[in-house]
Amino acid sequence: MGYTTKVRVRDRYHIVGFISSGTYGRVYKAIGKNGKKGEFAIKKFKPDKEGELIQYTGLSQSAIREMALCSELEHANVVQLEEIILEDKCIFMVFEYTEHDLLQIIHHHTQPQRHAIPASMVRSILFQLLNGLLYLHTNWVLHRDLKPANILVTSAGAIRIGDLGLARLFYKPLNSLFSGDKVVVTIWYRAPELLLGSRHYTPAVDLWAVGCIFAELLSLRPIFKGEEAKMDSKKTVPFQRNQMMKIVEILGMPRKETWPGLVSMPEYSQLHSLALSRAPAHFNRPSNLESWYQNCLKNGGYSSTSSAGTPGADGFDLLSRLLEYDPTKRITATEALEHPYFKNGGPISANCFEGFEGKYPHRRVTQDDNDIRSGSLPGTKRSGLPDDALLGRAAKRLKE
Amino acid sequence: MAANYWVSTQRRHWLFSREGLVDVREKLREKDKLSHTQFPLPDQRLLNIYFNQQLTKLGKRMSTRQQALATAQVYIKRFYTKNEIRHTNPYLVLSTAFYLACKMEECPQHIRFVVGEARGLWPGKSDVRITKRPVDFITSDVAKLGECEFALISEMNSQLIVHHPYRTLSELQPELSLTSDEVALAWSVINDHYLTDLPLLYPPHVIAVMAIIIAVVFKPSQTSFHGSGPPPLAGAMRDGAGMNILAALGEKGASGPPPRIQKLVGWIAESEVDIKAVIECTQELVSLYEVWEQYSEKTCKELIGRVVKSKNLDK
Repeated sequence: MGYTTKVRVRDRYHIVGFISSGTYGRVYKAIGKNGKKGEFAIKKFKPDKEGELIQYTGLSQSAIREMALCSELEHANVVQLEEIILEDKCIFMVFEYTEHDLLQIIHHHTQPQRHAIPASMVRSILFQLLNGLLYLHTNWVLHRDLKPANILVTSAGAIRIGDLGLARLFYKPLNSLFSGDKVVVTIWYRAPELLLGSRHYTPAVDLWAVGCIFAELLSLRPIFKGEEAKMDSKKTVPFQRNQMMKIVEILGMPRKETWPGLVSMPEYSQLHSLALSRAPAHFNRPSNLESWYQNCLKNGGYSSTSSAGTPGADGFDLLSRLLEYDPTKRITATEALEHPYFKNGGPISANCFEGFEGKYPHRRVTQDDNDIRSGSLPGTKRSGLPDDALLGRAAKRLKE
Repeated sequence: MAANYWVSTQRRHWLFSREGLVDVREKLREKDKLSHTQFPLPDQRLLNIYFNQQLTKLGKRMSTRQQALATAQVYIKRFYTKNEIRHTNPYLVLSTAFYLACKMEECPQHIRFVVGEARGLWPGKSDVRITKRPVDFITSDVAKLGECEFALISEMNSQLIVHHPYRTLSELQPELSLTSDEVALAWSVINDHYLTDLPLLYPPHVIAVMAIIIAVVFKPSQTSFHGSGPPPLAGAMRDGAGMNILAALGEKGASGPPPRIQKLVGWIAESEVDIKAVIECTQELVSLYEVWEQYSEKTCKELIGRVVKSKNLDK
């Protein structure tokens, strides 16, 4: 009983070029063919290879999840799936094309020198992001990998949450959410309860990541830029001491008085040793977040006179609620959307670029790998070394 | 979507009317009448019983939870609305549906392991006397299962999230103060409904309500476990007493039933559950238990083996 595809990618799409690659495979830019209009991003899942011959080896769970979830989801702030084509032992997920993403936008604001993202744009981005997240959470979907590179932005300024490869349903899963994938979420955006080894994590992990993204939109740098401790030879997940320290440096030590669940965290003892290794003064220091925030507004040149020109005190309050240590107290997507940061001040545009004079560069599309069907090229780094050099930090982060 | 059955792909694309389902199957038959005459197969429900038993065996060897088996059964049903069973190797379809459902229900099994277990479970060699050639139903080449996975996903248009009645049952348990015995029986009724076309015909909450009614009305006096024969419930349901109460559910002001049942009747009246649909589901289940009497594992095995071997579908 063989499988023959009913639809061929190259009959329907003209491949314009190569966009990026990751552990899953590669993403190509394409335009519709034979009457099909529009631009698309085609994600090709890398098949496993046995020798030089590509074989059917069973699809990865991550591909299955993304295919299943994207087929169900439909929301203005979640990336829109066009179709899925199964051809030549490969999976091609065809998405709408998005010209930008937050990683690229943040990067653009550091070039040639730093210039802050306008306050109204940050507000629109955050609102749309939370709106998409609320949709996911009310549908029992945890994203689990929110980071600037996964927050897509259309040329019309609409935010689309992308990359649901790590997303999963959290309605009474058969196995604990921990058992499947031991490590989730790019480390800089990883919530403290995950760093402390929590087995039962909740939608709150996504809201922590939103807090980190909010901070990064304002400061143009990851707020907690730790170094990842790699798995040891025994494949045990190490305690992410450095990442935890980065958080503690800004938020102060988490305390059992304000986070009762803290003491039952698997890595609580590790946290304790972390505290002991530091001077007591450091250990007792209260949260620095407010001074970090004020500094950030000052450095970014956010207006201190016009309320529309700055995220202001409301912005700080929202940020501090997103970056709340205790996941049970952390603000939810519903609550965040009702926050004064959004309620006060003018209307929020569904086009985050509204009123913005500047122009963002188009997504980089390279020409050296236009053959979407060639399975022989292993999906590794971004193609074209000179471009990597130009992209600098962004390229480095994309490789993670 | 995932949490919302009403906008799910299950409701939009995989809910058939009875006529629609008959039509779909008739079209498949029309396309290959010859196979149908050459290779008669038992009643679909008897085949489903056989498939279910095989899946359960496969699942047991890998200690898989019921929900993954339920999802696999729905995948098989969906697949066979688009493909003539006589053109497939059901053992391969079964194993693949199982493999895919385990991934979807977050209890993944390695493809090599599934293939290995399936080979152990269905050694085609025992059928040498029929075909004069020793071939396995499942080849050791995992690529075959991998390829079948493509076929399965493609036929289902990547719509892999399945809503099951189990969830409604556990949500209603506190609301209707169901005893653990009642929940256990309702649970096994839900298990049984996968042997019928009901998962393609009714939304999961209707099935759950049907299962609860059966559990409450036909008081479980026995454990819910059953082997190869129809469950003890079948007898109870046929003796009629329960059916009358059930009929009364559809009418207002039914007098007579015990308070326990009246409470349920009250709840159903207040909820917006389609009571007519619930009764149809019950009848479907009764007729399943009737047809179950004719079930013979041996017959199913032989007839399927004959199709697969004669048509070289194991290749």
